[in-house]
Amino acid sequence: MNFKTCSTALAVALLTATAMPAYAQKAQNTVRFAYDQVPENIDPFFNNVRIGVIIGQHVWDTLVFRDPATGEYKPNLATSWEWIDDRTLEMELREDVTFHNGDAFSADDVVFTLNYVANPDNRSVTQQNVNWIENVEKLGDYKVRITTTKTFPAAIEYLSGPVVIHPGKYYEEVGPQGMNTAAVGSGPFKVVSHDVGRQLVLERNEDYWNENKQVPNIERLIIRFIPDRQTQAAELMSDGLDFIMNVPVDQAEQMGMMPNINVKSGETMRIVFLQMNSLDNTPAEPLKNEKVRQAINHAIDRQTMVEQLVGEGARVIDVICFPAQFGCSDEEATKYEYDPEKARALLEEAGYGNGFSLDIYAYRERQQTEAMVNYLREVGIDANLRFMQYAAFRDANRAGEVAMSHQTWGSFSINDVSANTPVFYKFEADDVNRDEEVRDLLQTGDTSVAADERAEAYKKALGLISQRAYAVPMYSLTSYYATADGLEFQPYPDEIPRFWEMEWK
Amino acid sequence: MLAFAAKRSALALLVAFAVSIIAFTLLRMSGDIAIAIAGEGARSEDIAMVREAYGLDRPLFVQYAEWLFKTLRGDLGQSIFFKTDVATLIMAKLPTTLMLGLFSIMFALALSIPLGVLAAVYAGSIIDRIALTVAVAGQALPNFFFALCLIIVFSIQLRWLPVSGSGTWKHFVMPTIALGYYVTPPIMRLVRAGMMEVLSSDYVRTARAKGLSPASVIFKHALRNALVPVVALTAVQLGFLLGGSIVIETIFALDGLGYLAYQSITHKDFPITQAVLLLLSATYVFLTLLSDLANAWLDPRIRMA
Amino acid sequence: MVDVASAPKAPPNAALETAAETAAAPLPTGAGATTPPSTLRRMFRHRGLTIGAFLVGTIIFVALFAPLIVPHDPYAQDLTRRLIPPVWYEKGSWAHIFGTDNLGRDYFSRTLYGAQIALLIGFSVMIVSGFIGSALGLIAGYFGGKVDMVVTFFITTRLAMPVVLVALAVVAMIGSSLFVVIAVLGLLKWDRFAVVMRSATMQVRSQEYVSAAQAAGASTWRIVIGEILPNVMPHLIVVATVEAGSAILLEAALSFLGLGVQPPLPSWGLMISEAKNFMFFSFWLIAIPGTALALLVLGVNLLGDGLRDVFAPGGRS
Repeated sequence: MNFKTCSTALAVALLTATAMPAYAQKAQNTVRFAYDQVPENIDPFFNNVRIGVIIGQHVWDTLVFRDPATGEYKPNLATSWEWIDDRTLEMELREDVTFHNGDAFSADDVVFTLNYVANPDNRSVTQQNVNWIENVEKLGDYKVRITTTKTFPAAIEYLSGPVVIHPGKYYEEVGPQGMNTAAVGSGPFKVVSHDVGRQLVLERNEDYWNENKQVPNIERLIIRFIPDRQTQAAELMSDGLDFIMNVPVDQAEQMGMMPNINVKSGETMRIVFLQMNSLDNTPAEPLKNEKVRQAINHAIDRQTMVEQLVGEGARVIDVICFPAQFGCSDEEATKYEYDPEKARALLEEAGYGNGFSLDIYAYRERQQTEAMVNYLREVGIDANLRFMQYAAFRDANRAGEVAMSHQTWGSFSINDVSANTPVFYKFEADDVNRDEEVRDLLQTGDTSVAADERAEAYKKALGLISQRAYAVPMYSLTSYYATADGLEFQPYPDEIPRFWEMEWK
Repeated sequence: MLAFAAKRSALALLVAFAVSIIAFTLLRMSGDIAIAIAGEGARSEDIAMVREAYGLDRPLFVQYAEWLFKTLRGDLGQSIFFKTDVATLIMAKLPTTLMLGLFSIMFALALSIPLGVLAAVYAGSIIDRIALTVAVAGQALPNFFFALCLIIVFSIQLRWLPVSGSGTWKHFVMPTIALGYYVTPPIMRLVRAGMMEVLSSDYVRTARAKGLSPASVIFKHALRNALVPVVALTAVQLGFLLGGSIVIETIFALDGLGYLAYQSITHKDFPITQAVLLLLSATYVFLTLLSDLANAWLDPRIRMA
Repeated sequence: MVDVASAPKAPPNAALETAAETAAAPLPTGAGATTPPSTLRRMFRHRGLTIGAFLVGTIIFVALFAPLIVPHDPYAQDLTRRLIPPVWYEKGSWAHIFGTDNLGRDYFSRTLYGAQIALLIGFSVMIVSGFIGSALGLIAGYFGGKVDMVVTFFITTRLAMPVVLVALAVVAMIGSSLFVVIAVLGLLKWDRFAVVMRSATMQVRSQEYVSAAQAAGASTWRIVIGEILPNVMPHLIVVATVEAGSAILLEAALSFLGLGVQPPLPSWGLMISEAKNFMFFSFWLIAIPGTALALLVLGVNLLGDGLRDVFAPGGRS
């Protein structure tokens, strides 16, 4: 094997190779998609991974539909809804929907599903998505009343996203385990087979009722679990797959030059930030000092990182939320310019002229963490990288063991600040700063009903977080998708590929 | 023979026990299992409940005894991550790893025996040198690096083989080569050494003197004797293979035991890690027991030891 | 179970036998402890050994003088100069002979520093495991009887445990770092040392000069150090080289799986793992450390093989 001219040889070989196998997939009208993480259970309430959200949208439906283009909420399984009071929501339901197993959809399904998953005893792993529901009762065959635990204006947003509706009778019989092995929903795709840990085969639901999505153009969707990204890329390049996502930037740009592959990028709602533990028992004493935290904000060249490492379409952010989310405003934020001199000066003022060392935890995009570590090194801060799985990191963070972490947050694609900032600043498990003023402002934002009141409160809270430098807001992430040539596809910022829209040209 | 077999089996059992104790203690030490089982968002009352329900507050040897009895009955517990039966999970992934292991050892034998014979017959010549170079080079190349190169050449450039998965026999070609290549050298060396020893023995010299053809000498007489220790080594290497397939399974997306074990470690899914460790050790012990017995049967002198 | 008096020609355990077979050679004849001059000359004439010594020597040299030779700081990043190909490519330049990696770090410098880590690991693990294994093997071989039984049991149990799996599990528990990797590997990989030392000790022990020393009333300690150790030393050296090579590969595998040395340390195994993302379009990023690893292990193996051949007159060469 000739190492030297490998790249050129590769390019030549591929350019002259025939593109046969793609036709095979076109002829069969199938899309083969690979993902790296295996969901422990494909029931959306019992897994924490993106692929679970994706499968959720394809096999099931939600009560409300949010139009990705306009942001409008449209009827879905629910035909209309009304807030009776601050905590009560009444919804009328569609009458002509059938689940994949033939069961007719009615209020019973909504009642059973929501009550089941909201019950802490059933241990849904996406608690944040369901614990705002206190109780759901049936008012008629096609009418339900949802009572929330507290004033929760974002309820509609959640009911249009991660909260799907299961067939009640079936769910009661088989439970989440049964749902995993033989899933039944009402969505655009039916599950044909689930070989746990290996692949999931979905088939078009010919009788799909919903104009919000559509009856899929493709007949089959095969989801394979391939843990190694390189293997996924290799498969795509040798026509073994048709669609992969989360392609590393550098690889994506190169793959795009190949004739049988198309690459698309899209900004996502996922933001990246450095979280710093400033509590009394923080493992890194210096972080308690505001000047130190501000120094760290000045130390990192976010713009260069965005240009060189992150990808097309990403942008620098100055507050801890995604710019398009409702309530996300950086008007009162301090904009920390990249200024290593100033960083060192601040550290000197704070008494750490000789620098200090700490551990930085990360669980994804290690390349970016390493770049951050390097910037810190240049101002005298020795950050020791501890890379691990998300679950292990989360446990360590909640136990107060983590001084600094490279965090990302996708807000479960909910377009509202309440799904983002409060997670880290409202005295919840992941809050490592615990600022009462910020908490109270966020509380106001979360529970007020008037939009301008909410926006004002959020703006102030975000401003305080920035001024007190509790974190270093970095940038938004772009996601790169690579597809076989001929597959029509459009990316969305919620990182959910919509296979029901795709077709072979 | 029987006494020997009995003693050997008793020893094997003892070793299996020892390993199970080590595996159990190792994993119990790795963190509070109650927290892992209770899961995300568990309150301290939940954790306490789990602790009681699973009997995690009892002395270690009591827990071990219970675990052992359950294991012997086939109940390997529940996976914390997948929330299903560990035994079922393992049975589902086992065939892939077994196939990979068997194919790899067959590949290794197919490569090493002819090479070893050739090297021995033409000892000292260029053929011998080449064989030895292959042997030495094979042990130096990191197998994950080799696997990646194979993918680049055979899947991407030549399009001959699929990259990943375990659907057809084609899917196993590259993993087999990547895994089998590493255990080829020791087997080859042993064959070569054994052959050389036998070829220079009186027995063979007599046969040659009697005018028997070289081929018949090699195959009928020399090889059979030379292969005796190879059987033992093969068993041992098979054991190593099963334990070392983690990297290969991950690269080629072969959903086998090795990959399951790796996942369980990163997810802190103790029941699975424990079960796989025990299973691999038991297999190894069993294989070496078999080869001990086979050796003893073939060579009666060993039984006397 | 294990009969002390029986010659190690027919050890009762398949695993022990085969492990010993592949590692050890028949003893050097003669009771002398020093290397006769002809052995040294044989060393120079043995082609494999000289090649191996040359490879290992070069890498040791590079590792020792890396700080003086390297053109750049191996940790210095430059995000605007990422993924520059090596000088023999069209886009390469002499400023970065081996190009730069995904964070703009000079690859030549990193490769050179990687030698330090590889050698450090190989050497340290060899010492730790060598110490443990040799001690166990010596004890078992010298005292025999019940002591031997116990040690053999230890060894067999350790052999039954899949090393990679156990190493992964332990490292995942404690968190990985250079120190942890060395400790874990050292505590796991002593088996071959023990087996070979046991075997060799048993052979030496039955020699006349040992019984003579015993008869003369020499203490156990003195017999071990004075008579046994010098005679089993050749075996020890051979096993040590093999184990060093194996340790280096094992660390590379652990780092590849994410549970070995942590970034930004330039371990070759870690470099390969990090370069996986770029393997299709920037193949040099894995080819260079992969080749370096292979060359080092090759050198070590050749050295070991050569030493074994040299120490075994009329042996398998």
